[in-house]
Amino acid sequence: MKKGKHLIQRGLILLLGNEKTQPITLPLFAVFLSLLLGMVIIAVTGANPVNAYQNLLQGCGILPKPSYAAYKNSFTDFTGFLNAWTPMLFASLAVAVALKAGMFNIGVSGQMLISGFMASILAGYADGLSGLTAKFLVLLVGIAVGMLSGGLVGWLKYRFRVNEVVSTIMLNYILLYAVSFCIHMWYINPVSRQSAPVTQASRLTLLDVSAGGMKIDIPLGILLAIGIAFLLRFLLNRTTFGFEIRAAGKSPEAARYAGMQVGKNMVLAMMLSGALSGLAGVTYYLGYFGSIRPKVLPAVGFDAIAVALLGNSNPAGVILSSFLISILEKGNTYMSSRSGVPGEIASVITGILLLVSACTGYIRYRINRLKECGPNTEEKGRKGRRGEQSV
Amino acid sequence: MEYMVEMRHITKRFPGIVANDDVTIQIRPQEIFALLGENGAGKSTLMSMLFGMYEPDDGEIWIRGERVRITSPNQAAGLNIGMVHQHFKLVQNFTAAENIVLGTEPVKRLFGALPCFDKQQAEQQIRDLSHKYGLEIDPAKRISDMDVSARQRVEILKMLYRRAEILIFDEPTAVLTPQEIRFLLEIIRELKDQGKTVILISHKLEEIKQIADRCAVLNHGRLTAVRDVKDTSTREMAALMIGNELPEPMEKKEIQVSREILRVEHLTVENKNHLPVVRDVSFSVRGGEIFAVAGVAGNGQIELADAIAGLLKAKDGGIYLNGADISQFNVKRRIVSGLSYIPEDRQTTGLVLDFSLADNLILKKYGREPFSRRGILNPDEIGRYAEELIGRYDIRSARGKRTLVRSMSGGNQQKAVIGREIDLQNPLLIFVQPTRGLDIGAIDKIHRQILKEREAGKAILLISLELDEIMKLSDTVGVIYNGTMTRISDAKSLTADQIGAYMMGVKGA
Repeated sequence: MKKGKHLIQRGLILLLGNEKTQPITLPLFAVFLSLLLGMVIIAVTGANPVNAYQNLLQGCGILPKPSYAAYKNSFTDFTGFLNAWTPMLFASLAVAVALKAGMFNIGVSGQMLISGFMASILAGYADGLSGLTAKFLVLLVGIAVGMLSGGLVGWLKYRFRVNEVVSTIMLNYILLYAVSFCIHMWYINPVSRQSAPVTQASRLTLLDVSAGGMKIDIPLGILLAIGIAFLLRFLLNRTTFGFEIRAAGKSPEAARYAGMQVGKNMVLAMMLSGALSGLAGVTYYLGYFGSIRPKVLPAVGFDAIAVALLGNSNPAGVILSSFLISILEKGNTYMSSRSGVPGEIASVITGILLLVSACTGYIRYRINRLKECGPNTEEKGRKGRRGEQSV
Repeated sequence: MEYMVEMRHITKRFPGIVANDDVTIQIRPQEIFALLGENGAGKSTLMSMLFGMYEPDDGEIWIRGERVRITSPNQAAGLNIGMVHQHFKLVQNFTAAENIVLGTEPVKRLFGALPCFDKQQAEQQIRDLSHKYGLEIDPAKRISDMDVSARQRVEILKMLYRRAEILIFDEPTAVLTPQEIRFLLEIIRELKDQGKTVILISHKLEEIKQIADRCAVLNHGRLTAVRDVKDTSTREMAALMIGNELPEPMEKKEIQVSREILRVEHLTVENKNHLPVVRDVSFSVRGGEIFAVAGVAGNGQIELADAIAGLLKAKDGGIYLNGADISQFNVKRRIVSGLSYIPEDRQTTGLVLDFSLADNLILKKYGREPFSRRGILNPDEIGRYAEELIGRYDIRSARGKRTLVRSMSGGNQQKAVIGREIDLQNPLLIFVQPTRGLDIGAIDKIHRQILKEREAGKAILLISLELDEIMKLSDTVGVIYNGTMTRISDAKSLTADQIGAYMMGVKGA
């Protein structure tokens, strides 16, 4: 038994001990551990965990399903998955940028909602616009409105020292009820109890495109999202603006001492975060869906906080973590219909994932300590105890 | 029982270095035993093992003649070992009493059943304890409202409350003013008289000379000597510590001062409660001159430096650099105008601890060519520059320019700050407490650097709490008391005692 423990310790040190690769290996370890725990939970519900995971991937078009409805195949499933992934990626990037600047943007949901709403009424309901113009306008409005709502939070913090956690939570509710009020008054579709659907021209997802006998939904935003993630990476790591933002995030006092304008950078970072939320909003409400459900804040905005943390607030990491979480969220319908595992299990796994990734700091500490003391502490300890007795 | 603590043949390795190499020390009951050595000599590691924070790779620890194995601080506490760390470990928003009893709180039963914390009893216990040992504190006061020396007394009481008999002090005087140091040494002597065994980690030889009975000297992880303090001169101790003969006594060349570079006129600064902390201060510093501001901590000298550097807004008065009024400039413009600033707190102000060494070295230059062009950073140039500074200022770290500054030793962190600031090649250098918490070797190097900058014709404003430092370096001394510059004189015309008297606010000394 002791020997086994010893071996595991050595293995862990070998896998995770290298401090240079720890930023990559530790999150991967966290993911692996949570998927393992998820399997245990699925097994407890009485289903086959391997099948359930397979179903998750099948639901996202990553693995082929045994049978398909007309005009559908695994590729159409995959584009459907991309469609859901897009807003998640944008929203997570929004949280990540704010975190880099040392701020916690909990208001992504509200910023998404107001951007989606403004884009809907300014471009989504306009008749006679060409597809290109309408889509361009939607993006523009989304970015601008998001930027304003994010910038407001940064400005409140800079000017009146209002903690951004408080202001974003409050703004979430203000925006939610204001938007819901407007929808109920002027834009309601009485049948669906949602806002009236936006025009096809303004949708950021091309619906039912016929190609090769299939009807495919093409989410245009995903390419933009991945492109922006890499652009953001460049911006944060390789520009003076990114340098200032990161310095302000790590140590505002030192940033000020070095002559940086911390307040200005704070506002700019929040504007950037807001603009990304805006893009999340328009790809969500005018891409993934075509309308807005009043009185509901998009859950994506909150999941994004966890996704950004899991991705270490690093744009490349966020691409991976948002991909993973989106699989869980998107694939669970198919999983529950196929293997009878309740769809909520996917949320449970997401929760475990977040819990474990929140513990990576602790795991890192244990591993490094184990490494410092040497893997042979156990053996030494026994020897030591024997020594004590002989005295 | 001949020895209270014996550490036999202790060896401790960390990746890349041997922190302790076959060290054997024996400490008698009721003595004050000093551990001497430069930063990184292995003193703290050795004591951390005694306190259960690490386990030795080799060797044995014996307490009161019994072999023990200490795997956690709790176990150490069980063996009546207590430690006051250099950086205090206190909960800021708890009161002194709450901090002291934390973990072993006295319990009362509410309504005869519900167990809950008995605050009154705790405070009474602390009050009794503090009277017994002469450690004055207010048990009901929050830590955040206390000054450094009061916090230290809380730490000491924390050990005593846990019935510690073996007391380890890690660099206890590094953060204290001269008066507070005297008071602390008094307390330590008192503790000894009450039957405690004291281990003192320090590199301030004067203090060891004053209170320690014996001292052990560590050098690069090895034990080089154990001496009776009363038979050993401080010079001898210093030589043992550095491992070879003392560096040449510093020579301060006579140089011609040039024109005036910094002039401060009627400067008044208020703190955030709108109380004046710097009152109507005027002075000037010329090229090739070291102007030292002497004063007891908290008399406005930090605010004075911050106001000149632009971190604090001046309420009134003028600040002239090379003849131009910079008092309305922001921090960046002041840097560009020719002001370098080594701040008091290198960890929160001078450095971004979670940035790499290279990024910290360009913290004030990232916006200039060749480090960036049109807002795009150039990592090659940044790396090259970092390596150049690392070489020139002998900044040591585990992974070179990529090292996170947080993981570097205090001395090397300070070298990084000083290297960066000197290399801005500005005519004015402001040093605030440049050698705080550093060992003799590092202090010596920094003092030489300051003198070198003086010879290069820089104007230097030195703010220090160490009278020795001021006497050694300064050309002109200004004494600050309660925010007012009470006296400005040629350094040669004043003795240390006179400066000390002015610092305490004595008039006409």
